[in-house]
Amino acid sequence: MRHAVRIFRAEALKQHRRVFGSKLVIFSMLVWPLLTLAQSYYTLRPLAAAPGIAERWPLAADPERLLAFLATGTLGFTFFFSLVQSAWHFTFERQTGTLELLFLSPASRLVVVVANGFGALVQNTWLFACFAVAGFTLLDVVRVAHPGMYAVVFLAMLVPAVAWGALLNSLLIFSRDAAFLYTLLDDPMWFAAGVRLPTFALPGWLRAAGSVLPLTGSLVVVRGALLDGRGAGELAGELAALALLSAVMLLTAMMALRLGEARAQRTGRLGFF
Amino acid sequence: MTVAWATLRRSWLVTRRAYPWSYFIGTLLLGVFTMGVAYLGLRAVAGDQVPAEFAGRVGTADYLGYIAVGAAAYMFVVHGILWIGKAMIQEQREGTMGALVVAPARRLPYLLGFAAFAFTAVALEVAVLLGFALLLGVRPAATGAVDAVLAVAGLALAVFGMSVVLSNVMIVAGEAHITQNTVFQAVAVLSGFTFPRDYLPEALRWLGELIPVTAAMDVIRGVFTGGTGLDPARLGVAVLIALGYAAAGLLTMPWAERRAMERSF
Repeated sequence: MRHAVRIFRAEALKQHRRVFGSKLVIFSMLVWPLLTLAQSYYTLRPLAAAPGIAERWPLAADPERLLAFLATGTLGFTFFFSLVQSAWHFTFERQTGTLELLFLSPASRLVVVVANGFGALVQNTWLFACFAVAGFTLLDVVRVAHPGMYAVVFLAMLVPAVAWGALLNSLLIFSRDAAFLYTLLDDPMWFAAGVRLPTFALPGWLRAAGSVLPLTGSLVVVRGALLDGRGAGELAGELAALALLSAVMLLTAMMALRLGEARAQRTGRLGFF
Repeated sequence: MTVAWATLRRSWLVTRRAYPWSYFIGTLLLGVFTMGVAYLGLRAVAGDQVPAEFAGRVGTADYLGYIAVGAAAYMFVVHGILWIGKAMIQEQREGTMGALVVAPARRLPYLLGFAAFAFTAVALEVAVLLGFALLLGVRPAATGAVDAVLAVAGLALAVFGMSVVLSNVMIVAGEAHITQNTVFQAVAVLSGFTFPRDYLPEALRWLGELIPVTAAMDVIRGVFTGGTGLDPARLGVAVLIALGYAAAGLLTMPWAERRAMERSF
């Protein structure tokens, strides 16, 4: 256990030093999410004035609550996309040859990929998360059933996000081209996970595709708890599904690491890029 | 002219043979999903009714048509900047900037060659996106062929002017990722691609006036969605600001190149 904690700390510290090298990081942490939020809010705002919207989507009838809905979406997307970014950065380890060194070391592979994701997550999201919390307080839109729900909301974003990061990172043991992950999981992810629209607006096949993305489940819990005031009991089904999904992602990550390493040992391709 | 033509040919060759699809797919997805959200939002959330308030602001009740034109124009801008603005930093990264600096080729035709490449490539993309829009039942129409050509030319000039300045910023900063994404996001909000700009707070509206693309977008709107025709005054503003940007960019380019070269040694 102490071994794992030390690897975890080292990997997270490495992330911190890498990401915080320049002040420009403020752009990806705060400015981009804010501008995206403004754009999606103004694009959807005309629809909020549609007659009869209160029956179809009560939340959108009030511009402030629509903004809060989109802000939770942006927050969730920032969480999960920062892990896509971290996985993309993981390929630089391959290019600089440190990925091979990592696999020569006795460090537990799973701990390394989990720590890598966790480090990136904390680095990249704390600023926008603080901003979002301040925004919710100012708009006065949050209705929680119980103060403990804040902890539930936090965990419902953190745990699946870390598992998701571990999965993406472990897949890169196989692939030499990570840029495709970036393209594949940027726009399609926000679209299928209901970041800018409620999931009932999506067609069935798209909802089915989105349901395998952990972001979808996280957003249901976050919005249910913060904006609709639902308690842990009411969200139990969603929470259980998220826990299951996280476990599956972690198991897949472990398997991918094992298979990938065995293959790399056989073919010697870990050093190629 | 020779330089521009050679650059255009080279860019097409390189793109066809080496890295064909990543920008294409990336920007196309952005356009398609922007339209997708608007479509689903209108169907499921607004119950197929465009509120009168929106129609009053933009002069048309065709919400989807409004978004389709905006998404296509946004794609045009993003793709233009990705190619023209990044041309120099690409040379720098590949190590050929030194050769370019000593070559007897002038920068303006070189960048114009890239512009010609970008605009021919993006024409394909816009065609695909508009095809998608047709599937969703959108029928954007111009007020006239001459109006349409002038409006698109205005937007192209605006993109070119911005790209020349950005090109300098990128090689001086030695960085493209943060610069380009910040510009894309800022332009998306300030220039009113997917929503009327009068939703924005007044300070932001004025800030938008500093970007040539904003005035060019107003012209595009008049021709393709509002049905009010070409607005010569706004087109004039767009052309003037764009030429100002291009001139400022070309004048400071020798300095920027010097800085970039010095740093690389």
